[in-house]
Amino acid sequence: MKRAWAKAVIAIAVSVATAAALSPFSTPEASASPPARATSETFPVTITSGSGKVTLTAQPTRILCLSASATQMLYSMGAGKQVVGVDKYSTWPPGTPRTKFTGFEKNAEDYLYLHPDLVIFAFSEGTLVKQLQLLHIPVLVLPPANNFAGVYNQVNELGLATGHIAAAKRLDTSLASYVAASVRKAGKDGRGASYYIELSPDYYTATSQTFIGAEFSLFGMRDIADAAGRGTAYPQISAEYLLKADPDYVFLADTVCCHETPAIFSHRPAFSLLSAVKQHHVFGVNDSVASEWGPHTIEEFVGFLARVLASTTRK
Amino acid sequence: MTLTARPGLDRAGTPHLRKAEAALPGRELFPTRLRAWHIAAGVLFLLCSLLASVLVGPYHLPPAQVLAALASKIPLLHVRSGLGALGNADVWQIRAPSAVLGGLVGAMLAVAGASYQGVFANPLADPYLLGVAAGAGLGATVAIVYGPAAWASSLSPLPIAAFVGAVAAVAATFTLGRSRNGPRSPASLVLAGVAVAAFFTAVQTFIAQRQNSGDLEVVYNWILGGLSTAGWAPVELIAPYVAVSAAVLLACRRLLDALSVGDEEASSFGVHADRARLVVVVAATLGTAAAVSVSGLIGFVGIIVPHTIRLLAGPSYRRIIPLSLLFGAGFLVLANLAAGAVLSPEQIPLGVVTAFLGAPFFLVVLRQSRRMG
Repeated sequence: MKRAWAKAVIAIAVSVATAAALSPFSTPEASASPPARATSETFPVTITSGSGKVTLTAQPTRILCLSASATQMLYSMGAGKQVVGVDKYSTWPPGTPRTKFTGFEKNAEDYLYLHPDLVIFAFSEGTLVKQLQLLHIPVLVLPPANNFAGVYNQVNELGLATGHIAAAKRLDTSLASYVAASVRKAGKDGRGASYYIELSPDYYTATSQTFIGAEFSLFGMRDIADAAGRGTAYPQISAEYLLKADPDYVFLADTVCCHETPAIFSHRPAFSLLSAVKQHHVFGVNDSVASEWGPHTIEEFVGFLARVLASTTRK
Repeated sequence: MTLTARPGLDRAGTPHLRKAEAALPGRELFPTRLRAWHIAAGVLFLLCSLLASVLVGPYHLPPAQVLAALASKIPLLHVRSGLGALGNADVWQIRAPSAVLGGLVGAMLAVAGASYQGVFANPLADPYLLGVAAGAGLGATVAIVYGPAAWASSLSPLPIAAFVGAVAAVAATFTLGRSRNGPRSPASLVLAGVAVAAFFTAVQTFIAQRQNSGDLEVVYNWILGGLSTAGWAPVELIAPYVAVSAAVLLACRRLLDALSVGDEEASSFGVHADRARLVVVVAATLGTAAAVSVSGLIGFVGIIVPHTIRLLAGPSYRRIIPLSLLFGAGFLVLANLAAGAVLSPEQIPLGVVTAFLGAPFFLVVLRQSRRMG
């Protein structure tokens, strides 16, 4: 038995000695790309965001953006050259420096090889933010917006943080104009029409208290989930509830995760009785419309909704 | 009889047990004395693990400079590390606290697991047997969903809520586990623990499944366990609980030897089984609740470490408890290192790594011990 102990201790000592030398962590220093040039406006700036007050002493030139919505905002306002990394969910615009990061890493050390001077999150339970603060790296947390005012606020905050105040204001104005034009284009067909937005095939949905709900509300549409959403903005309803509510429109935001299609939905038991199915008002949309609030996603979805409502007649 | 029959081997024993042992014939059925080299091996293992954990990380820092940074903290040694402000902050505010936290959590889970196995005479007992995990999970979920943002205050509500939840669950188990006309039997306590855990888990699931995907991911990240720290606050938070719990359990190691053979046999040595069980369970539970409150739910440590020690050093809790403390600490520190290294920069949930590393190692030890007879 003593020999077993001795072997174990020797094995441990040898493995520890070699661990440092052969560590898979031994990433070479990232080649420090030249700092991006951007229009510098008044720095230092202090921003109050979801992570509290953040002071940026100089214009950030190496931004790590771990929020797909914030990535859209940054690139739309012309701050893309200052971005050195985005999370794996940032699919727009193409050509961004995508990483494997999700924003839910366990250790902020993972980010250091990019030498970020500003890190942006949509969600964080706190440890990552605190670790970055201890490493003297400024952090902005921009949590999910629940309405358009929240989106415009976040665009302004990012404009202030990146030195693109004027461009951010222009982005807000153009987004608001586009949304207003889309609502005009849809006309009055959507007013009072009911809808069901499906987040997963097991009937998880979103109420009008969410951002996607706010987009539908622009067109005067009525969410069938509101009556079910007691205490939660993301209730799970039943097929029976859906049949009883009989929405005028159905939007499937589970086409990517779960490969849902209008045809599959229509073939669920008894769903042929739904008005939306009978009138071919079942539409598949990208899952991201329910989880992102960036200007690109908003324009795509609001534009799509306007086209749908303009081209269909409710029952 | 599975007790040492040689009286006075361990001064930490209770008077009752020493008297009982004195009445037994002087023959040792299995080794119980803790040898100096056992302790030396455990300390060496723990120190090597801690050192590796500070030397290695996702961000490459020259090992020589990290060693110099460590040496610079030793009084009278005038060493300069050469690490910049970022490197120094990384070593002293992220790596070192994470390593120490891993040591504390691993030690606590291992020693609590060993203690539970002793008091319940059940080799499958683990530190979560009486509902600690479910209670902590509910507390953490409530804090994440309804509490203020963690970064908004200097004191995060999450560990406090998890601790309160864990203690509440075990208190409920103890209340429900008491028989109407008698003391709490191990079986009734275990059954009450199962019921309480199921109830707390149901409430936790109900709350979690009504949240958006971001909050849900934070909840599940916490449940899957990890030792990510920012500064020394979590270490300072749990160190007193772990120290007191570990000290009580170390002092009770002879009682555990008695309890492991059954309540009636323990009574014949003058041990009050119900009272002893209460002391051990309260100490193990408080320590586990504190550990879980900062680390989330890390499985397997409380089973794999004590059983490995048992196979290597024999079945006496006089050996198992102190060695589980040292090897449990080192094991979790190394597991955390592996969790970050294998798919770097992605982090594997620590609970997955503990099972992945622990299970094969356990089987190897099992085979070797059978071969050695």
